Amino acid sequence: MLSIAHSAKLGDIVFDDKAASLKKAGVGPAVFPHGKHEDIYKCDDCHPKIFKDKRGANDVTMQKNMSGEFCGNIECHNSPKAFPLYQCKKCHTEKKK
Amino acid sequence: MKSLYSIKFIFRIISLIIFTTFVYAGIISAAEPVKTPAGTQKTAPAAKETQPKEKVSPLLDPNDPKSILYLDTKGKLAALAGAVLPKDRYGLVDWAKAVKDKVISPRPSLDPKEEEMPAMDMNVVIEAKSDFVNDVVYPHYMHTWWLKCEVCHPAIFVPAKGQNNMTMSAIVEGKFCGRCHGKVAFPLADCNRCHTQPKKAAKK
Repeated sequence: MLSIAHSAKLGDIVFDDKAASLKKAGVGPAVFPHGKHEDIYKCDDCHPKIFKDKRGANDVTMQKNMSGEFCGNIECHNSPKAFPLYQCKKCHTEKKK
Repeated sequence: MKSLYSIKFIFRIISLIIFTTFVYAGIISAAEPVKTPAGTQKTAPAAKETQPKEKVSPLLDPNDPKSILYLDTKGKLAALAGAVLPKDRYGLVDWAKAVKDKVISPRPSLDPKEEEMPAMDMNVVIEAKSDFVNDVVYPHYMHTWWLKCEVCHPAIFVPAKGQNNMTMSAIVEGKFCGRCHGKVAFPLADCNRCHTQPKKAAKK
């Protein structure tokens, strides 16, 4: 079972809810490259303690990221291990709508 | 047998290369202090400082690598001991706290004749464009401890509320707050140091 799960990598996950807010902030939706993270981490590094493993079940906001939740976990994008949160365009890569 | 000889030969060459590099490096490191006689005086006590026995003033210790070096008003090298300066969560000096805690007391100007301008105690709320991010409360107060109006106005910020179309993307590119923050002032990664005021509950 595990090997099957690993062989089929998940693609990009686009965070396109909160469209109105994204528009005001002048950035496109964040694109999360799940596959890239699979190369570095095991499933249970993030699931379920940081992210519920269900699409749309995580109400991710920048404020929560900034406060140490989700992507901004103190071990991840709020640490020197990964690029910092202020590099907006590294995640908010999609074209503005 | 032939192959064995060739392996030996390669080993000899490798060892010769390693040997020569060591010798060469030795010459360089030995020659360095001779090249810079002024530097030797400074490097000598720096080597000693690995022994923590030597006691120094908590405020002045130019040999402590954690010290912040600066030129005093007479142009002499002085140091603030790193240990007494407050640090933020990145281990960087929290200069505003250093003033608040009276660890340092910056002069109004390098020119002693210049009049001291009183600090301006005015907060400006800068609404975050995103609906989900805390607004920024910008304190003029601590900024005017070090800076005079013309440093920022009107070149970096138009001095009128709401007239600066600030975005985090622009700030990251070095505009607005990004002219200083992330360079000489605390880094942009410290989001919640500026984004302090929660959006009103109705907006959520």
